[in-house]
Amino acid sequence: MSKQITIGPFHPELEESVYFKLEADENRVVTKVNVINGFIHRGMESLVTKKNFMQNLILTERVCSLCSNNHPFTYVLAAEKIAGVQIPLRAEALRVVADEVKRTASDLFNLSMLTHLAHEHDLMKDTLNTRELMQDLKESIWGNRMDMSVNQLTGVKYDLNDETVKTILDTATKVEERVLKLREDYNNSTSFKDKTVGVGVLPHKDALEIGVTGPVARGSGINNDVRVKAPYSLYAIRPELQPKVTLFEEGDVFARAMARFGDILEALRILKDVVSNLPDGKTYLEKRPHIPAGEAVVRTEAPRGELIYYLKTDGSQKPVRMRWKVPTFTNWEALKVMILGDKVDNVTMILNSIDPCISCTER
Amino acid sequence: MSIEEFNNAIKNKIPSGYELKEDQDSYGNSQAWITIREKKYALVVANAIKAFKGRCVVATAYKEQNSHVVIYHFDIDGVIINLQLKTNDSTIYSITPILKSADWAEREIREMYSVEPVGHPSNDRLFLDYGLAKGVLNEYISLSKMQMGVSDTDILWSKVKKEVKL
Repeated sequence: MSKQITIGPFHPELEESVYFKLEADENRVVTKVNVINGFIHRGMESLVTKKNFMQNLILTERVCSLCSNNHPFTYVLAAEKIAGVQIPLRAEALRVVADEVKRTASDLFNLSMLTHLAHEHDLMKDTLNTRELMQDLKESIWGNRMDMSVNQLTGVKYDLNDETVKTILDTATKVEERVLKLREDYNNSTSFKDKTVGVGVLPHKDALEIGVTGPVARGSGINNDVRVKAPYSLYAIRPELQPKVTLFEEGDVFARAMARFGDILEALRILKDVVSNLPDGKTYLEKRPHIPAGEAVVRTEAPRGELIYYLKTDGSQKPVRMRWKVPTFTNWEALKVMILGDKVDNVTMILNSIDPCISCTER
Repeated sequence: MSIEEFNNAIKNKIPSGYELKEDQDSYGNSQAWITIREKKYALVVANAIKAFKGRCVVATAYKEQNSHVVIYHFDIDGVIINLQLKTNDSTIYSITPILKSADWAEREIREMYSVEPVGHPSNDRLFLDYGLAKGVLNEYISLSKMQMGVSDTDILWSKVKKEVKL
């Protein structure tokens, strides 16, 4: 006999508010999935049209905390494209530094939450302790553990010196050693693998059809990393920085976790390379640009996948329309495929494996 | 895939014509901007995207006087194809039956702008509660009005009154 089970919208195992209405059979296997959204909808796309271009830098950084650097980064790329501005090379490099630091911290946070939900508390503790090194780095250089306030129109708001470069290099080396050890521990933990291998499978065909991105796509054998497919910023100027993407065919929770390990190690490689070869020059253009009438579509690779911004302007100080789509917007729909036919007890872990960012998605 | 190849794939299939613009960012990434005159030919473009194994990344809508502009943003292996169309009767032809990746994008346009994607397989709301009227982005709505149910009617209070037993 089928049984109705609800999870959420507020539940200790959910990072953010989602409401699952499931039907399960007598073996607690999910036979029907219904996901109800909208608990964190804030009407931000309407709000940004009431703020000027400078104020929107602050607002976009607050769409969500985990990818808080990517939103203003992509937004300024769109505004700069309309204005026809080319920023200094040093600013391009500094933007990439901040981005890869955020990616490492974000992916490590997701992995620690995954091990928490899999009840692997030693792995969780080690992963969070490693992430803490990145948090301390953010705090020491940018003065904040989440919102780094890096981007501005025509450049960045911070600079690095020999001392801070050394701090980044030391931290990256230390984190890299620990991440390699962690990846080995995840692979050697039979209990973790028992709980994650073959769980929440997203087949390659479904992944293509739904259009998933980021580590979710990479876990199902698809490489649509924007840094590789449509490189921007320093990834375009120095193609050797483009990540060597790790792909898996299994499409399960374990594969997505391993894809994230690949992302973290590449992020650390890029980070070390960029800070060791920082170009000289200014960090921003002193002349504040006029944003003329126009429209632009720009995208970047956020920790969870492709982030796209559409910006339309009319020559005034405010956007006419601004629209953005975050990776979870499409990855979320894939949950229905992943959860169907799996155990009810695995639902929150499967949700976590897409690294959902619901604040970003609902805006 | 190049933009020229994509243009070749659609050029004989849209009798009422279209405009094609190409732009390139400072990093060398090209994008196509296709504006169709008749909205039904969005289906032709969607079929071509599918044939090239592309996906719908998202869609944008905005209001322009008495009509709505809808822009689909597609991706084919790193190249963005933007498809722009105008609708005067608040309906568009849903491309979700062709490209599943357009599902949420079209549903969001429906609830934010009250533009109906005709033929969309789902009638469910995406983010907004059924108590809120469709098309909340068509006009500026103050917070106090939003809390009253975004409507000229008393949706919220009728709901409350029904539940209150005097």
